[in-house]
Amino acid sequence: MAGSQLKRLKASLHDQGIIGPQQSKKQKRKNAEELRAKPEKRLQRGEALASIREQFNPFQFKTNARGPKFDVTTNKPAGDRAAMGIKGRPGLAKAVGEERRRQTLLVEMQRRNKVGGLIDRRFGEDDPNLSVEDKMIERYTREQMRNHKKSSMFDLEDDDERMGGLTHMGRPLFDDDEDAAPPKDDFDEEDLPSGDESDSSRAERRRLKRQRLEEEAEDQEEEDEQPERKKTKKEIYEEIIAKSKQHKFERQQAKDEDNELREELDKAMPELQALLFQRHPQTAKDGKETRDSILIAGKEKTAVDKDYDIRVKQLAADTRAQPAERTKTEEETAEEESNRLKELEEKRLRRMRGEADESDEEEEEEENERGRGKGKKKKGDAEDGAFDPFNAEEDDDQFGLGKGVPSKGVKYQPTATELGFDDEDDFLIEDDLVASGSELEFDSDDMEGEESDEDAASGAESDDDEFVKEILTEAVTKDAVFQIAGKTKKNDENGIPYTFPCPQTHEEMLQIFEGFEVTKLPVAVQRIRALYHPKLDSKNKERLGKFSQVLVQHVAYLGDNFEPHWFPTLEHLTRHIHSLAKSFPIEVARAYRAHIQVIEQERPLSLTVGDLIILTAVGTTFPTSDHFHQVVTPAMLAIARFLGQKIPQQLSDYAIGTYLAILALQYQQFSKRYVPEMMNFCLNTLCSLANEKSLEQLGFFPIHEPVAGVRVKGASKTAVRQLNCADCQPGQSLSREDEASLKVAIISTTTAILKAAAETWHKLPAFHETFLPALLVLQHLASKPNAAHLPAALSATLKDTTSLLARLLQLARLARRPLELHHHKPLAIRTYVPKFEDSFDPTKHYDLDRERAELAKLRAEHKRERKGAVRELRKDAAFMQRENLRVKKQRDEAYEKKYKRLVAEIQGEEGKAANEYAREKEARKRKAAKGKW
Amino acid sequence: MGPPVADPAPKAAAKRKRQENGDSSKKRRKSAGGDDDAAESPKARIQKLEAEIQESRKHYNNIVALIELAQRHRADPKTALPASEALCRIFIRLLAAGTLVKRKDVSEKDATVTGWLRDRLGDYRGSLLSMFRSQELASNALVLAMALLKAEAQHLTDHGEAVFPRYFFADILASLLESPVEHIRDEFSEKFVDEYDDIRFYTFEALKGYLTDREDDVGADVKNTIFDMLLSIEDVPESADDLEDFFVEPPQKKKKHPLRSLSQHKKQAQEAWLAFMHLGLSKEQRKKVLEVMAVSIAPWFTQPELLMDFLTDCYNTGGSISLLALSGVFYLIQERNLDYPEFFTKLYSLLDADMLHSKHRSRFFRLLDTFLGSSHLPAVMVASFIKRLARLALNAPPSAIVVILPWFYNLFKKHPLTTFMMHRVPRTKEEKALQESEGVEDPFLPEEKDPMETNAIDSCLWEIVQLQSHYHPNVATITKIISEQFTKQAYSLEDFLDHSYGSLLEAEMSKEVKKAPVVEYMIPKRIFTKAEPTSEETNSLLVSLWDFGSS
Repeated sequence: MAGSQLKRLKASLHDQGIIGPQQSKKQKRKNAEELRAKPEKRLQRGEALASIREQFNPFQFKTNARGPKFDVTTNKPAGDRAAMGIKGRPGLAKAVGEERRRQTLLVEMQRRNKVGGLIDRRFGEDDPNLSVEDKMIERYTREQMRNHKKSSMFDLEDDDERMGGLTHMGRPLFDDDEDAAPPKDDFDEEDLPSGDESDSSRAERRRLKRQRLEEEAEDQEEEDEQPERKKTKKEIYEEIIAKSKQHKFERQQAKDEDNELREELDKAMPELQALLFQRHPQTAKDGKETRDSILIAGKEKTAVDKDYDIRVKQLAADTRAQPAERTKTEEETAEEESNRLKELEEKRLRRMRGEADESDEEEEEEENERGRGKGKKKKGDAEDGAFDPFNAEEDDDQFGLGKGVPSKGVKYQPTATELGFDDEDDFLIEDDLVASGSELEFDSDDMEGEESDEDAASGAESDDDEFVKEILTEAVTKDAVFQIAGKTKKNDENGIPYTFPCPQTHEEMLQIFEGFEVTKLPVAVQRIRALYHPKLDSKNKERLGKFSQVLVQHVAYLGDNFEPHWFPTLEHLTRHIHSLAKSFPIEVARAYRAHIQVIEQERPLSLTVGDLIILTAVGTTFPTSDHFHQVVTPAMLAIARFLGQKIPQQLSDYAIGTYLAILALQYQQFSKRYVPEMMNFCLNTLCSLANEKSLEQLGFFPIHEPVAGVRVKGASKTAVRQLNCADCQPGQSLSREDEASLKVAIISTTTAILKAAAETWHKLPAFHETFLPALLVLQHLASKPNAAHLPAALSATLKDTTSLLARLLQLARLARRPLELHHHKPLAIRTYVPKFEDSFDPTKHYDLDRERAELAKLRAEHKRERKGAVRELRKDAAFMQRENLRVKKQRDEAYEKKYKRLVAEIQGEEGKAANEYAREKEARKRKAAKGKW
Repeated sequence: MGPPVADPAPKAAAKRKRQENGDSSKKRRKSAGGDDDAAESPKARIQKLEAEIQESRKHYNNIVALIELAQRHRADPKTALPASEALCRIFIRLLAAGTLVKRKDVSEKDATVTGWLRDRLGDYRGSLLSMFRSQELASNALVLAMALLKAEAQHLTDHGEAVFPRYFFADILASLLESPVEHIRDEFSEKFVDEYDDIRFYTFEALKGYLTDREDDVGADVKNTIFDMLLSIEDVPESADDLEDFFVEPPQKKKKHPLRSLSQHKKQAQEAWLAFMHLGLSKEQRKKVLEVMAVSIAPWFTQPELLMDFLTDCYNTGGSISLLALSGVFYLIQERNLDYPEFFTKLYSLLDADMLHSKHRSRFFRLLDTFLGSSHLPAVMVASFIKRLARLALNAPPSAIVVILPWFYNLFKKHPLTTFMMHRVPRTKEEKALQESEGVEDPFLPEEKDPMETNAIDSCLWEIVQLQSHYHPNVATITKIISEQFTKQAYSLEDFLDHSYGSLLEAEMSKEVKKAPVVEYMIPKRIFTKAEPTSEETNSLLVSLWDFGSS
């Protein structure tokens, strides 16, 4: 680009063909014609000129001064403006701003200090560019548009009217659908004499009409020929409109009918109500109702409405209004029960796998909910036959409402038939599904009652239910005696008092039951539970909680001072604790844990019979199969500790260990978890009791050299018996025969345990390794030098067990497969690519503190706005100044002009006068000269 | 004699005053008791005697009277104590005055006096030492004896330099050792041996002398006390600069004084220990020695090689002694480049049935972790260790299983070849078919002594999989780490050592029951009683195996 600006301009104009060499007139004309023919060419020309203008104004655009940042990103030539990227058009922006100011600010300026005036808002009134016609057209369309939308949705009337309001003499101005108009109108029209219309025009119209009719006929024919004539839009719309009108009408009709019906009903209401409440023997109300009906007849409206509302509320509150459960058939209840048990079993399995940990809480709640629901349902079913099913739904209402129940006044004494039925029902379900077997026979009636309670408790989850029943049965069996006994300390035929204080500590318990026969304790406990039922007093809950703890202590106490015939009693007490544990799980668990803690701190390796009983009770009260359990896990640890760490010093230690080994195995009966300590203890026991020490190592279990006299010797004549709790008491002096029999009993029991263990654990993967030592030990025991000292029966069992073990081992070997533990999905290699911000802006603050970041953002925005506002204000000020200046200049100019004009005028006049003067002077001079002459 | 005595006079007066005060208070107490004169007179007499001795040489014979009083400590401990205190003061004064120093330039009479006084000093020593046997006086006697020892060291000889009276010290030590009073030994080691480097030095020396002199005559009790004393000397000085606390300041002139040399100290200790071990150790002592070997015995030795035989013997004994000897042997291997042939075979043989039940288990595992820490060990051998421990774990307490598993994990990580023990897919169809039909025999040879030959690497860890269903939930969970993905780099073994039944139970018990525990939904019909023979009920295991006496 060489040359001056002017030259370049010329060159570019030339290039665009805007200027060129001188053209002849002919060419010019031709060009002009072309231009007229093709307006786009003119446009092109304009465009070209604009681009040239742009090109030559360096301030037209704001561009990136150094060009694009990365050349490679564009294929446009480097020097090109477009390539550099136009960032703004300051000239244009300035012009726009100026224009806007002129429109707003200037107007304001001019209006300043001016008051009043009339603003003409008519369209186009102050627009000089519009012609009158355009104005009128525009105004008409606006009006049309304004009226276009119907004001009311349900306005039926104006539907067929013209939208437009412009009429001429009551007729629409633009009637473009004359042919659709009914012929009658035409006729009327025709008949109407119109002074305005000329005859010719009428004739003309008639002619046209005839023509139209003809055409119509033709159309008709055509329609006949082709029945599917396409309807015009108008027709379609009309059809739709007609239809909708019809529907509307129908609805209206239906509504009216409904209203009539309702009115009728309203009138008949009293009779209906009388029908509804017929079962209530409320004669008084009836009287009122009749009065109501009279009143309704008499149209005393407010009173009727009020009464009606009350009625509705009563109906809603009535329990009978709630939907009743269908009475279930026996199969259904049985199925439900089995489902419930299945569910519980599944839950147990889940706990066994240690899965339920997280959702325990909710589940428990759920369980309670469900349990309660079940209980209710059951109750409903049971009592269905006896009385109104509605009232039995809610336990509280059952007593509170008391309408359906015959005996109104006495709260806790329903009839015996209901209860008997109830109990029996539960009992049957229980027997069918939960356990298989018959009940123990108890001599006293209370016992039986208690039994069935227990069953009910195990059947139904709901504690409330269980306890209510208990109370009820209690009350029934004792009826009046029970009530009186509370005041006068009477005893029943067995010499058991009817009332007891609720012991809160073990000392109290011991005091209360001092001299009391232990075997009768369960009855007492059962009576205490009934007497202090939580429903009877708010404090009873706490009392019974404490009592359950005391009971645990007492069981341990009884165990420590046991007598052989106490065990059924202990069993009953344990079951009582179990049933109490359902309502007081935390208290009972704490009591058991406290006992285990005492064991751990005081006698970890010298357990008493009471401890054994407690550990057994733990195993029955709580699910031992759980992966983790707050009570069972410590109990199991306590057992394992004894089995693992105790080095037996006397035969009683072996007996205790054997008991615990059985217990450990029983704990794991369901979950089949492995207990190494149990194996160790059993094997060590057998090795210690064997007459001879084994020469080779029998396995990897630790062997403790027994104390002298422990090894069995010469017991071949001893009868094989079972171990009992008396064997567990340390420090007793036994005769030789007794000792031998004890040793034989220990050996036989341990062998049985090993057998049971092998059956329990035969699926374990290392069964072979685990039980091979057992096999070796048993073989060692059954070998000649040892077997000679054992009774023949025991030797036979040993042999049996050995062969069983050998068979199981063989099976285990066959079932064994190499381990394939790691079929895991391969882990992806962890990536350490940093997390990139997609649109990172170094000027931006990536503040992690959200509030602060937002504040900063707001502040920046405020600053920006402020700057903008200041700039605008400055521009406004400059504009105003400029305007003022312009106005002033204009004024000055006008003044100058005027001044000049005046001066010129004056000068002209002066000159004229001077000329006249000069002429006069000349004339005079000439005259004088003439005169002279 | 006059001027030197005058010097300590005011001090003595002050002391006397104090004593008088003490006496007066005692007197008051005594008068309340009822027998004034009998108790008062000996105290006053002692004071009088002491004062007289101070006044003039004429009353030196009072010393004899005082010594007599002191010697009668068994009969009258209340008088013996002030008497011996007074004597101590007297002798210290005399020593400080130089009266007891034999000089050639003095007159014969003076020499006789000196000789006589020295004899009395000897008597006094004897009476002090005999006091060691008395329950009440022992600690006072010890303090007095040590004070006397210090004075003797400084003033008994002519040299102007302190000379440690070894014989007196040896006597003190001997009486200490033979004394039935336990606490004075503790006091001695606490107040003197631990505090002063030279006392420790001479204690070692005296002990060695005592042992070598008597050899077989040393009674079991004395041996035990010597052993305890040796054990109680713990802080091995790091360098000669640490030797700065002295009871009797050693001569400054000689730089090479044995007291200032670390190696001399060590040598004394070593000799004492050797002399002790030479006498033979009981089993308990041996265990104890082995236990502290690496920490507090071996560092004393300038030539730990001397321990080599002892340690290897112990190591070969087997049982817990071997376990304990292991750390000593390791110390020698590490520090002294001991070459122990077939170390790993021996180590492998230590993994016997009792190992996981032993109370030295965590100690052993710490060492085992060190020994098998190298990633350059043959995988075959590591596999043997793993398999053997897995076998043992089948009969192990939970606290041991808890240690083994993380350790296995670390080994698996270090020796990837061993991971075949967890995951072994049959390679061919034939192999698979064979396994299906005949099952798998464990190729591991449990009786094999050499860890390189046990075929453990071809075996699988069924034992650990079995322990995944261990009764203790935490153990079961830890055991599951070997079937999870090995994402963790390594487990820190320290977190898992040092558990026991007690601590596991404690952990369970410390959690308070907040959430209601799950209760068995079915109340069992029978717990202790037997089912009716006609019914369908089945007896529980307990009822069928145990006689509860009901039916």
